[in-house]
Amino acid sequence: MNIKTIPKTIIIVPAYNEEASIATTLTSLIELSNQIDRLEICVVNDGSTDRTKEIIDTFDIVSLHLPQNLGIGGAVQTGYKYAYNHGFEIAVQFDADGQHNVHDLLELIEPIIKEEEDMVIGSRFLKKTDYKGSKTRRIGIYYFYIVLKLLTKKRFTDPTSGYRAINRKVITLFAHHYPKDYPEPEVLMHLNRKNMRIKEVTANMHARLGGESSITPMKSIYYFGKVTLSILMQSIVKE
Amino acid sequence: MNINLFSFLIVCLFFVIVIESVRRGILETKDALIWLFLSVILGILSLSRGLLELIADWLGIVYAPSLLFLFGLLSTIIMIFDLTRRISKLNQKVIHLTQEFALLKEQQRNSSSEFEEKRKENI
Repeated sequence: MNIKTIPKTIIIVPAYNEEASIATTLTSLIELSNQIDRLEICVVNDGSTDRTKEIIDTFDIVSLHLPQNLGIGGAVQTGYKYAYNHGFEIAVQFDADGQHNVHDLLELIEPIIKEEEDMVIGSRFLKKTDYKGSKTRRIGIYYFYIVLKLLTKKRFTDPTSGYRAINRKVITLFAHHYPKDYPEPEVLMHLNRKNMRIKEVTANMHARLGGESSITPMKSIYYFGKVTLSILMQSIVKE
Repeated sequence: MNINLFSFLIVCLFFVIVIESVRRGILETKDALIWLFLSVILGILSLSRGLLELIADWLGIVYAPSLLFLFGLLSTIIMIFDLTRRISKLNQKVIHLTQEFALLKEQQRNSSSEFEEKRKENI
């Protein structure tokens, strides 16, 4: 696909202690934005304690520096609030660790430009991709696939993917309400309840360039419990 | 000194500390209410053994002082739960403030760089 003009779009890059990979990620994003009009990049520095801030400041992009660490949910929401305040039509969440592929971005936003979908998720499992995650990670993802399928009757093959594009309607929703820690699966439940149209497209993901996953083995038990509970809560929560 | 008088004195001391904290502005009045209420009830119960036994009898509790434990434990749990709710609420406020701070700072950086450019143009 080759589009030069798209609706006002912003790429939100949440970054927490990503000094090893942030420069590469931003460089490839800037290359892309130079080819496309009205594509802006916004990086949210989630109170990093390493050199992430200094590296970000060398780039000429929108940078939001949180004075303290809020976790992925709070950081991404800051980006959505920026998108909401500045009238962006499309927002794309893009990981700073180099896992996401810039070339999939247009595929992600195409259904939104055509106004066919409200959210598009880049999935590693829709078709077979080169993605090689650990077995435990795959089991975890499959677990949330099952839970969400039971509750929504819909297929989300990659419910933990952080590579997502949303339209103005969902930006408005997220600017006002966004789950706090480990938000990805919970968001799907929330949007499904709001009758938003969600679609998955195939996205290739690389192994991370550097930094650490936000989910360490020690945290994974808490992660499963918390996310399962919040997904279940989403189905009964008061609006 | 028997245990009834001893516990009453402790409750009185506690009551004074609560009042004093409010007076010095360390504790907000609305937060003090539940503590004052609790210490009055504990004060009455620790002095009047008859009342304690009456209620215990009414509730079918054989050993009356265990009613005090029940009462103490329940109010502690309720208060801790109330605190957790307040922490959640404060947490939301902190997140909101942190986000607004970052957004405003970016806005400020943006407008000051625009200002610089305009100034250079004028020179």
